[in-house]
Amino acid sequence: MSAAPTETPVTETPVLDKQPDTTPGGGQSDAAAAVKGVPSRGPGLRARFAGSPKALIVGMALLFAIVTAAVTGNGTWPGGLEVDVKTPLTDLTDWLSLNRTTHPVFLYFLLHISNFAETAYLSLVDLFAAMGWLGVTVVVTLVAWAAAGADLSRRALRTGAIALGALALCGVLQMWEPTMETLSLMTVAVIASAVIGLLLGLASGLSDRCERVLRPVFDVMQIMPAFAYLLPLMLIFGIGQPPALIATVIYAVPPMARLTSLGLRAADPAALEASVSLGATGRQQLLTARLPLARKQMMLGLNQTIMMCLSMVVLASLIGAGGLGDRIYRAMATKDMGMALTAGISVVLIAVLLDRSTAAAGEQLQERVSQVATRAALLLRRGVWLLALVLFVVFALFGTALGQEAWPEAWSVDLTTGIQQGVDWITRELSFMANWSDAFARGVLNPVRSGLIAVPWWALLLLVAAVGWAVGTWRAAMTGVLCLALIGALGLWDASMDTLSQVFAGLALTVLVGVLIGVLAARVPTIERVLRPVLDVMQTMPQFVYLIPVIGLIGQGRAVGVFAAVIYAAPAVIRITTESLKQVDPTVLEASRSLGDTTSQQLFKVQLPLARKGLLVGVNQGVVLVLSMVVIGGMVGGGALGYQVVYGLSKQNLAIGLPAGAAIVCLGLMLDRLSQPREKHGGR
Amino acid sequence: MTDPNTNTAKTTEPTAADPAAPADPAAPAFAVRDLWKVFGPKADRIPGDPAHQALSTAELREKTGCTAAVRDVSFDVRRGEVFVVMGLSGSGKSTLVRTLTRLIEPTSGSIAMDGEDVLGMDKNRLRELRRRQTAMVFQHFGLLPHRSVLDNVAYGLEIQGVGKAERRAKAQEIVEKVGLAGMEERRPTQLSGGQQQRVGLARALAVDPEVLLFDEPFSALDPLIRRDMQEEVIRLHREEGRTMVFITHDLSEALRLGDRIMLMRDGAIVQLGTPEEIVANPADEYVRDFVRDVPREQVISVRRAMRPADAAESGSGKELAPDTLVVDAIEAVASSGEPCRVVEDGRTLGIVDHERLLAVVAGIDGTLADTEAVTV
Repeated sequence: MSAAPTETPVTETPVLDKQPDTTPGGGQSDAAAAVKGVPSRGPGLRARFAGSPKALIVGMALLFAIVTAAVTGNGTWPGGLEVDVKTPLTDLTDWLSLNRTTHPVFLYFLLHISNFAETAYLSLVDLFAAMGWLGVTVVVTLVAWAAAGADLSRRALRTGAIALGALALCGVLQMWEPTMETLSLMTVAVIASAVIGLLLGLASGLSDRCERVLRPVFDVMQIMPAFAYLLPLMLIFGIGQPPALIATVIYAVPPMARLTSLGLRAADPAALEASVSLGATGRQQLLTARLPLARKQMMLGLNQTIMMCLSMVVLASLIGAGGLGDRIYRAMATKDMGMALTAGISVVLIAVLLDRSTAAAGEQLQERVSQVATRAALLLRRGVWLLALVLFVVFALFGTALGQEAWPEAWSVDLTTGIQQGVDWITRELSFMANWSDAFARGVLNPVRSGLIAVPWWALLLLVAAVGWAVGTWRAAMTGVLCLALIGALGLWDASMDTLSQVFAGLALTVLVGVLIGVLAARVPTIERVLRPVLDVMQTMPQFVYLIPVIGLIGQGRAVGVFAAVIYAAPAVIRITTESLKQVDPTVLEASRSLGDTTSQQLFKVQLPLARKGLLVGVNQGVVLVLSMVVIGGMVGGGALGYQVVYGLSKQNLAIGLPAGAAIVCLGLMLDRLSQPREKHGGR
Repeated sequence: MTDPNTNTAKTTEPTAADPAAPADPAAPAFAVRDLWKVFGPKADRIPGDPAHQALSTAELREKTGCTAAVRDVSFDVRRGEVFVVMGLSGSGKSTLVRTLTRLIEPTSGSIAMDGEDVLGMDKNRLRELRRRQTAMVFQHFGLLPHRSVLDNVAYGLEIQGVGKAERRAKAQEIVEKVGLAGMEERRPTQLSGGQQQRVGLARALAVDPEVLLFDEPFSALDPLIRRDMQEEVIRLHREEGRTMVFITHDLSEALRLGDRIMLMRDGAIVQLGTPEEIVANPADEYVRDFVRDVPREQVISVRRAMRPADAAESGSGKELAPDTLVVDAIEAVASSGEPCRVVEDGRTLGIVDHERLLAVVAGIDGTLADTEAVTV
């Protein structure tokens, strides 16, 4: 009963994604596609439609959209239904710039936050400068080693070596100063997000009421593209570190809060009951059982929060955060690929350093659960931490006397010119790549975009409602329709269709690449082994960095954002595909083998159908990730909504940037709800 | 099925010495009356309503959306006995044991511990009861993985606020008692299932409770380990005489451990009695089905198997105590080659011979035993 209705509509969802591909710009070919496409599916599809009313409705809505598109030819949102948001937003911008220094809300509240953020940042920059390159390298390496266990195990030594190597390479690449700025920003942002995340996580883990309020907020924050946070904060706080830090904290809080709450709620019920049965008070239970049991999840949350902080700190260079991100941003503006790549490599090094250290610290904590350390090891560990502290103080006081403030000039290599020459060679010799990307933009993106614009707005609303209802619940349909209508009302219909076309193209490529590689990795252990470290690094890299190699290869343009999005989103899809295929019940696979199934029969009749739920989660993740990258592509010629946000940021123009940011959030919400399998709602 | 009043009458018998001195020495360890636990919307209306009470569990769920886990249960747990609650999964036994200390709040009825009303206790008094008077051993152990064995055992004392040195010393003593000496510094994940449950048992013993509550503690263990653990419990009970309430779905475990067994089905009591009473005299078809495969000679005593002695027999033959199990009597009769006498206080109560003992083994002693059971 319950399985049948969910099954058919879900298999139909890809049809929605492919729909624009089959509707090229010209009117007559639209009609041809409509006539040819549907009947050629044969009786199987028709029978399935007849069996499931939901699939029938989606099919009809799709047909309706195609036919009306062919008939009307242009279906943009009517000007009469637009709401003028520009005037009030311009007024607000003016008011903000007039009152930023005088209004009590700023004077007594926001200014304090801003000043605090700035002071914390500046004192850290001063501190790192006072410690000198030697002090920072020694202390960070020591801390990484200590966090990973402070022994001679492979993990601890590797973590220390990674820390040392990453910092040294940053110095060698002449990126020492921006690296220190980024590290200062990171320190402030991570501490603030971790503390706030912990408190919110405690609240929502312990109180059901808080959970009900916070959960949907975190859900929405999770799918909001990082881009959307920047503009409002810049207008309130101006340009500089404070808005960048606050945007980072807001962006990075959810994983810590979510995982803390999850850990508190997932604690072994038997242990909690045992604690109550022994007469523990609420506080005793929290401190002795719940929090310690949630430690693993909280470490994971901290790791994710740190990685999101890095991603945002780099991106926030758009509003004056400084540091490595700023180098990338400026280099991209002047098309200095050598500089962009060098700074990008440094960002990746910092990402690897932070990710490996926190992951090693988490593993080490877990290990301590399964075995008790000897007394000597405990003493040694304490000694190392103490040594790190002492060295920290010594270097902070006398660091500059022991070594220079910045990495010594003599030990550095200038790679920028070499890289620039390489990039020049690529543009000269491998120009076919740029041509391909042009062809992709003309042959795929343009037709999809004109197809989407050709569909009348009311037909598209109907289609969204039908898909939302079929895939999820009526609530998903409502959310989708409302979001789309809001986009229209904001006067951003055409720009949003442009962004949407890029998302569809990117998603189709991502799912294709992701599922193919994911299936391969699940079936061939060697591929998985090789792939794992690559995916690890790729998933820790900040979004911003993905643009650099793509620009280096194909220059700027509309396809850049799409390709970067594919590279950015594919690792997650690969991971989820591999995991869900491997989680298929082995006894079922064994049964299928014993019945003599061929490899492809096994894959298509057993593994893929059984892994369906996981694959859908992968598609959902892919949509959200592709969108967040595609809008960043607006910085490098992607146009559409992303460009309007960038424009608003650079010109401090709320009237242009804010509606575009809101439209991005609406698109994100709509796409997420339409691709979210129903089970996810049921589970809540 | 069972009349609680006869049980109450019996509790006035002298009982074994209690580890903790109760407020009212005459009162049973637990006295439960008319207890209901109903899960579902507006659960309160079910217990008071005779129309609802008459429905079966399935009908009740269909009509009201409520599930009655415990239905109108009354019983006493006597001081110093091992009281086994036995039933299949879903019979409400785990819910029942949790209502005793209000880990699950009962819907209606009354519970008294040592004569003190448990349902009327405020938060602090209830916490005090959980800290000092009862302790529970869980099916899935419920150990804290981030603590060593010793700190897990000392956990209850830590909750009570006992200082570190003192609670560790006490925990050390208990760890040795349950046979875990030398493993104090290990973590629970490094122990086998049986060892983990020993830690769970030690944690419960460490707070020196008046009553130990066991919720299917050995169900997750291998059969051989389970046997070891059952012997451990028997040994502890023999040494300390602590009152125990033991939940199980395993009949052989119930028969091995129980002084008295309460059989539950669909939340209600089917039969309450000694293992011998239940095996020899099942209350209904359900119980009869249950005990069908029990080796009867290992449960039934000669008191139940004997026939009246005639004058010629009362002077000769080997003497047996009335509590002697049939399996032992068979050995005695076979080795001596003649019927044996059942003797209590120098008085011959009856005779067991080949015929009577074989009837027990074959399970055809029922009609005869029934009449005699009344006199027991």
